[in-house]
Amino acid sequence: MRITRLAGSIAVLSTAAVLTACSSGTSGSTTSGSTSTPAAASGPVTLEFWCWGTTQKPKIEAFNKSHPDIQVKHTDVGGGSDTAAKLLTATRAGNGPDAACIEYDTLPSMIVAGALADISAHTGDVKTAFSPEVWNLTSFDGAVYGVPQDVGPMVLVYNKKRFQELKIEPPATWQDFAKVAADVRKKDPETYLATFAPAEFGNFAGLAQQAGASWWKVQDQTWTVGIADQASLAVADFWQGLIDKDLVKAEPLLTPEWNNKLNQGKILTWPSALWAPGVLYGIAEKQAGDWAIAPLPQWKEGDDRVAFQGGSALAVTKTSKHAEAAATFAKWMNTDKAANAVQIELGEYPASLAGQQAASTSAPPKLTANQKDYWDIATKAAQRTIPHISWGPNVSTASSAFQDAVATAVRDHTPLRDALTKTHDLVVADMKTTGFKVAGP
Amino acid sequence: MTALPRAERRSGAPYLFVAPAVLLFVAFLAVPIGYAIYLSARGLRLTGKGIFGTREEVFVGLDNYVKTLTDPGFFAGFGRLAIYGLISVPLTLGLALLFALLLDHAGSRAKRFSRTAIFIPYAVPGVTASLLWGFMYLPSTSPFSYLTRELGLGEIAFLGAGGIYPSLANIAVWGGVGFNMIIIFTSLRGIPSELYDAARIDGASEWQIAWRVKIPLVAPALVLTGLFALIGTLQVYGEPTTVKPMTPEISGDWVPLMHIYRDAFVRDDLALASAASVLLAVGTLVVSVVLLKVTQKRAFGGMQ
Repeated sequence: MRITRLAGSIAVLSTAAVLTACSSGTSGSTTSGSTSTPAAASGPVTLEFWCWGTTQKPKIEAFNKSHPDIQVKHTDVGGGSDTAAKLLTATRAGNGPDAACIEYDTLPSMIVAGALADISAHTGDVKTAFSPEVWNLTSFDGAVYGVPQDVGPMVLVYNKKRFQELKIEPPATWQDFAKVAADVRKKDPETYLATFAPAEFGNFAGLAQQAGASWWKVQDQTWTVGIADQASLAVADFWQGLIDKDLVKAEPLLTPEWNNKLNQGKILTWPSALWAPGVLYGIAEKQAGDWAIAPLPQWKEGDDRVAFQGGSALAVTKTSKHAEAAATFAKWMNTDKAANAVQIELGEYPASLAGQQAASTSAPPKLTANQKDYWDIATKAAQRTIPHISWGPNVSTASSAFQDAVATAVRDHTPLRDALTKTHDLVVADMKTTGFKVAGP
Repeated sequence: MTALPRAERRSGAPYLFVAPAVLLFVAFLAVPIGYAIYLSARGLRLTGKGIFGTREEVFVGLDNYVKTLTDPGFFAGFGRLAIYGLISVPLTLGLALLFALLLDHAGSRAKRFSRTAIFIPYAVPGVTASLLWGFMYLPSTSPFSYLTRELGLGEIAFLGAGGIYPSLANIAVWGGVGFNMIIIFTSLRGIPSELYDAARIDGASEWQIAWRVKIPLVAPALVLTGLFALIGTLQVYGEPTTVKPMTPEISGDWVPLMHIYRDAFVRDDLALASAASVLLAVGTLVVSVVLLKVTQKRAFGGMQ
């Protein structure tokens, strides 16, 4: 979650030049999507909109130009978790915005807080613009709580130049990953294949989901929590083994320390998602062209699936007096050609099928500029994401509990699987206190 | 009988004069405190509406207090504060007193420069100071670790398990000495020089003057700075929060205020955070009053 925000802020620096070119080019090309505005009765409607990231400004400018009846006022109130926290407070106070960006994993907690409006009455025409697994990220039992904006299918981002120097290949399975990690330590004792970051809840959740974990499920208002299920524990044990044998280093990501090592070629991969090249470019500009992406290693040979890490949707708030106009805005922002073009230009992977199609014919990001098959691998990753990933009503609690428990485990050299169990227990207890029905322990 | 209306007239004016202060106190102190206490008895609980149900605010009595008081994590935070405070408070006060005495010493040179140099870190915002020191602690950016590495001694684990308390305390000491020094120094300048003359006539050395005349006379300033340092310690938040992303040593509830912030804005439980805040405020008040009571006689007795 922290990373997607970073990705945004770093993109500001790296692509400021592109941005101006973009905003001037989009004004005339807003032909697709729904330009007819329903709220034309009494002068233009003004929408308050909260979102972070660099793609918003040019997109909104284009929207305002093409929609004289709906004018959007944009405020950047901070990254994903900040926006979520402020949105909760503001809607409770009755002065929230009309629309806001929400990360997929915090959507359920926003719904439970009663902050978001069901816009299913207005989204019938865009449902087919998204793949079912993406659409499922924002729709629950027929109710629609947002239009998907960007997604982060997971891939392995690696320093290809260093890989060639060390004569190693990107691993196809996690078992290979362990072997390559050992190989790297042997060939260059100062270098690690990867680091294990204790604070990366979303990353670990993605790896566990890839292994078959289901952290939250809900049926008839009864929840099943699986943060410490067999698959998740197996993933924890896998990383435990790597840490214990000093094959990966357990340390936080994107610190000055980490960045420095990455720049020195002492950290070779980052198992993350499609937004990662943008983030890494921000800290290791000199290595532009040296990096590449590979499919994320699989847990079983022959398997072919990955999870999403990060990404957000554009939701309409319950307190909005212009829900229909806000829904129109949300749809345009994520399905219009011009809007998608801005996303691609600034390194965001669009959630819409047309946007992903457009991305596949564009140039690869600067960090991986020399990789010819970049978009082939990216598109494949996007196509084989796991459907029906569902998040719980207290993901932020889970995330902070995970960070604390895992950081403690790494520090005290206690088992990571115990940290997962601890997180699970805390999440279940929190849900029970609030009054959710939770099945099982 | 004629005295009565005059007394009534007299009794109106004080109320009028005190009104602005009372109004401000009520609006900006009493009401927020009252609201925090009210919030601490509330909680978000699930109701049946919506696909997942909806959380709504209800009265939960003392639930939040019970939860806070039975949470080992909250008290572990105070334990960490104690270690941190045991390092930072005596060091800050000791160094501040030492520098103040040195500056006050007649024979010392470059006083104006020294005073400014010692005071400048106080003007550096806490977050900036924490980032600055954070960079100096991280192995690959640390000049200290660079030196020890070049000398073949390995790296210094500033942000490791043992180093984290002294490292964080160092940031506070670096930033706090200047401020405390100024308070003690100001107090030293207020001592009449006749006392020194008298001491010198009696044959006291500079060392004895410092120990037997100056320090006892600046005791009120020492108590004041001690109280500030103690309250400051209980309110530690900025340094560990800023350094947190750099090390797994610092958890999200490392100190009580981080615990409260996490409950309020990460876990979206404002009510629980309010209860913990009330407990922390009451605790701070009790500790301050006890400290003042214990030190009052010693500090202010001689001045009366």
